[in-house]
Amino acid sequence: MKSARYFIMACAALTLLLSACKNTATQEDPETEVAANGQFNLRMDAKWGNEDFVIEQVYLDTYGNRIRVDQFLSYVSQIFLVHENGTEVLLKDFYLANFENDVELPFEVPAGRYTGLKLGLGIPAAYNKHEDPAQYPSSHPLSVAGSQGMFWYWNTGYIFTKFEGKIDTTGTPDAALLDSFLFHIGDDPYYRELTFENLNVTVPANGAVDMQLRIFVDQILAPVAGSSLDLATNAVTHTSEQDVLATTFFDNYAAAIVVE
Amino acid sequence: MPRRLWWSSFLFVLGVIGCTSPPTTTKQDRPVHFRIPSHFPPMVHPTDNEPTEARLEFGRRLFYHTALSQNETTSCASCHVQSAAFTDGRVTSPGLNGHAGVRNTPTLANLAWSPYLMSEGGVPSLELQALAPLHEPLEMGMNMMIAVDRLNQDAYLRTLNQRAYGRDSIDPFTITRALACFQRSLISGDSKFDQYKMGAAELTSKEAKGLALFSEVGCANCHREPFFTDYGFYNIGLYSVSTDPGLERKTHIKSDSGKFKTPTLRNIAVTGPYMHDGSMSSLEEVIAFYNAGGTGARLQDERIRALHLSAEDEEALIAFLETLTDWNFLQNQQFTPLSE
Repeated sequence: MKSARYFIMACAALTLLLSACKNTATQEDPETEVAANGQFNLRMDAKWGNEDFVIEQVYLDTYGNRIRVDQFLSYVSQIFLVHENGTEVLLKDFYLANFENDVELPFEVPAGRYTGLKLGLGIPAAYNKHEDPAQYPSSHPLSVAGSQGMFWYWNTGYIFTKFEGKIDTTGTPDAALLDSFLFHIGDDPYYRELTFENLNVTVPANGAVDMQLRIFVDQILAPVAGSSLDLATNAVTHTSEQDVLATTFFDNYAAAIVVE
Repeated sequence: MPRRLWWSSFLFVLGVIGCTSPPTTTKQDRPVHFRIPSHFPPMVHPTDNEPTEARLEFGRRLFYHTALSQNETTSCASCHVQSAAFTDGRVTSPGLNGHAGVRNTPTLANLAWSPYLMSEGGVPSLELQALAPLHEPLEMGMNMMIAVDRLNQDAYLRTLNQRAYGRDSIDPFTITRALACFQRSLISGDSKFDQYKMGAAELTSKEAKGLALFSEVGCANCHREPFFTDYGFYNIGLYSVSTDPGLERKTHIKSDSGKFKTPTLRNIAVTGPYMHDGSMSSLEEVIAFYNAGGTGARLQDERIRALHLSAEDEEALIAFLETLTDWNFLQNQQFTPLSE
């Protein structure tokens, strides 16, 4: 009787030892039906009118200024694809788009018909001003390395959008572009949530479909009632409370994004 | 004990301990409890950065390490010199490649209790603050990831990093935590004034008169004990038009132009020159400025007004301020550079 008890204890201990460190991942149940997935490619293309927008190319804006954009980076957050049944599929928490290049983001999502897209311009308040970039691994877009200079270290918080370049204010044809413009937009009140509805995108099972998100840079700088984005006179903002220039720029930016 | 029972017990214990999570600090590392002066409030540490021996040593080595600057010539200690209460005696400090800085180097004493950092108060923790001078073009002009690569070349630092934070590679998280941990250890609360408060020293009659005047004429309104600062922002009337926007840089509110955070007066006798731009070379000059009621500049705080102090009063105030020097802090061997 005693040896049987020892044998049971030893077996229990051995089982515990062998099972204690097993990988926490569970095996898939072969009976479970796996929904078919497809690939959804979200493309983000910056445009100037009907043409592709090119960093460091000289353009004539709607005020007649010759301008050259040298940097255009922007955080896009909380990107959701909305299924026709109302289910929201999170595609990406955070992404830092650098419009020096066209952006293509591939996602594997359940096959089906989708009717909406949601995204945020900037960083939501919960992740913004009191967050520490050093807490993220370097591959993360909010990390020290991944934020690519889009963080104010002397006054913590992320720069949502950086739009910088040169302008000629003399009006002389072919004159060098000597003056600078700089829009560094950030801070919680500037976060914008965009919702695109009534879309009709079908992700085929085991197939792929594209969606184009176009950003019309020329429209960001278009005239607005009550406020001017004439870079010859309103050229610099680092964002402050009730900052008319920053608000106008960011509102225009939000309005200049369309889904095609 | 019967052999079979022994074996089953052994296996059982092995099974239980087999999957215990690794400790955040190895057995080689030990917690450190700072000695907080009894008249100071408790120190609060971030939960992910409680002080340990390895964290303190790692932070101390980083503080003196030139790998944190772009051209590997500047460390934190280049501008924060212990014998000057972690200031540098210069009007403003040159940064990378001799670029002129724009502000006088602040002391690092008692930063653990500061609710925010930087002259504009825009940084909420010492961990975050560590990133600011490192990236600032006028200071160390560095890219953190280059510093990470350099520091990871050092096997001893990597070992220290592992002991301190349980990570095999040095990264921005461990660098900023270690620097913050070391800076929290820079506690200054053992001056003659502190000893007087504890009943262990007596002030001279001149020092005592200065202490009384300090309260009577309003210095103590902003320079409050125990840290001799209220962490508020004021324009004391140095300039009619301030070339440095001060708090306005953060708020973009015009009336905040020229406002700067109240500096601590602890160790003030060894942290000159004074003011945010180092424009006053002596305490005599500073006291004379306040005695005159500032300059009457447009945005000057209304509490800055003529004090009508006599020459003896001014001397007494300075004598009192000199009692705030903590000589043990200036010579504490726990803050000095470590050998290789």
